[in-house]
Amino acid sequence: MAILEARGLTRIYRLGEERIAGIRDASFSVAGGEFAVLAGPSGSGKTTLLNLLGLLDRPDEGTLLFEGRDVSDVPDRERSRLRRERIGFVFQTHQLVPVLTARENVALALWIRGVAEGECRRRAGEALDAVGLPGLAERRPDALSGGQRQRVAVARALVGQPAVILADEPTASLDSETALRLLDLFDTLHRERGVAFVFSSHDPQIVSRARRRLRLRDGRIESDDELPAGGAIA
Amino acid sequence: MSLRWWRLAGRNLLRHRRRTFLTGSIVVVGFVAVTMTAGFMAQTFNALRKATIDGLGGHVRLFDPRAEGKTDEEAQAFLLDDWEGLARLIREDRRVVRVLPKLSFFGLAVKGEKSVAYLGTGTDPELERAAGYAPEMVVDGAFFSSGDADEVMLGAGLARSLGAKAGDLITVMTTTPDGALNAVDAAVTGILQYPIKEIDDRLLFLPYRAAARLLKAEGKVHVLAIRLADDDQTDAAARRFAEVARAAGRPVAVKTWLETAAFYKQVRLLYIAIFLFTGLVLAVVIVLAVANTMTMSVFERTREIGTLLAIGMDRGQVKRLFLYEGLLLAVGGALLGAAASLLVRAILNAMGLQMPPPPGGTRGAVLIVRFFPMAYVVSFALMTATLLVASWWPARRASRLNPVEALAHV
Repeated sequence: MAILEARGLTRIYRLGEERIAGIRDASFSVAGGEFAVLAGPSGSGKTTLLNLLGLLDRPDEGTLLFEGRDVSDVPDRERSRLRRERIGFVFQTHQLVPVLTARENVALALWIRGVAEGECRRRAGEALDAVGLPGLAERRPDALSGGQRQRVAVARALVGQPAVILADEPTASLDSETALRLLDLFDTLHRERGVAFVFSSHDPQIVSRARRRLRLRDGRIESDDELPAGGAIA
Repeated sequence: MSLRWWRLAGRNLLRHRRRTFLTGSIVVVGFVAVTMTAGFMAQTFNALRKATIDGLGGHVRLFDPRAEGKTDEEAQAFLLDDWEGLARLIREDRRVVRVLPKLSFFGLAVKGEKSVAYLGTGTDPELERAAGYAPEMVVDGAFFSSGDADEVMLGAGLARSLGAKAGDLITVMTTTPDGALNAVDAAVTGILQYPIKEIDDRLLFLPYRAAARLLKAEGKVHVLAIRLADDDQTDAAARRFAEVARAAGRPVAVKTWLETAAFYKQVRLLYIAIFLFTGLVLAVVIVLAVANTMTMSVFERTREIGTLLAIGMDRGQVKRLFLYEGLLLAVGGALLGAAASLLVRAILNAMGLQMPPPPGGTRGAVLIVRFFPMAYVVSFALMTATLLVASWWPARRASRLNPVEALAHV
């Protein structure tokens, strides 16, 4: 079963009298364990589409199915629950809480579920180990490098064992070497844990790392290509 | 939400230490102001209450029921017979400290060419001496030497008007309850300074026996003033005295000190009104200061709030997070405020600052701020409520942010 299925998703923004289509008539699905990229230049609709897929925004038209269930119009509380329990987010900049340590930032995703403190610490520690940050758990974001902060953000997305992780330009603020290492991490996690990754990028080098490539232009999905299994990551 | 959310709220407050310190200072100063004012008021009420009870001669006053509702002049005609018999009955109650006979009269005090209107009280010198209040007011001369002497004591204002001093002889003239004119010559044994100027300007004391002779009212009193050991027993004792007198076939009217203390009630009302008004102004200032701080905090943390919403924190949790910050500020500010308040109180009380006389008063007093625990409890509750109100709108605003817009906030 598909984790996400978009059917004719459309999101219109109103700027005064003008109506601008952020995304128009997008239809595709993301299967469990898939590794997909939304590629396209700035303004092509990548962030809008990720916001819709992540239940942060509501479509003006079309339907979004999450694990087979229509979630296009579910109430706020239920959208929060789904984001909390089934979806992980990684943003362009790390978006960590500056007053919390790396471990606490990761644990935050469990705190909001009401998970007991001891278990939060243990699982946050495991998630930090999984993203290659052992020994840095008690550091605050300002004592970490850009790449390390982004790994903490990945650990935060991962710790709740989501069905899908959505990442909006996760490498945009990183140098190319760090960006590629982060992509390696995504790939490893998706293969080892079976979690689906959908991330956006306008960088051809990054885009080339994904098997599934949805290219967007002017709010429309221009192409949807998938490389055969085993023939992608260089 | 558990302890970890309180911890997070605490750390959030420490992000901008200077801002939190300044806002917290407003809470501390507000707390000190409220508790100091309340402590000063409590001390003032206490002193005024004591002065009122002392001035009336006791907590409960018994008088002829026919005098109830009459003017002072009309009430002159109604006296209680055999006061000593009634006093014996009252003294059987273990709550009673002493029973003072009081005769009230008015007329003219004459010295040489000068005559000045007075308000006179006939009282028992020995019992007054035991009570201690009147002797403490003597500023010149001495208190009555005995209950039998033809001596008079004057308020300082009346003495000034008459040009009398201790040792002078004056004539006290009045009209008896029967309407006859009578007079007595008496030596001024002492001058008193009564705390209320209007009374001080007319005050005249005679020993009970001299006053009874003057009024031709031997064995009678206008009022029996009953002093109790405990202020809190006033109402219960008053009811009991009415029952005792009725059972003895001596029906009396009974009034507590509070029922006759119009000045005390007015001052209390005035102080409370001023306190509430200044408290309200203070609360508004605190609400504005804290709301401003919290609004800035929400604005600065908009992207972070967007992230929290994106990872699944629900809106109630976001709102509570900011309310916790407000509550922590209230609790921290109130605790520091309580400590500062105790310190300021100790310093003020140690300084012995002399306060000017109150309106209508003749004597100032040393500033004393009383420790009034209820003021601390109420201030704590008020600070908490005030900061919750101040945090409510910023917290609500934070919880209602659109996550997409919040994440795009620069």
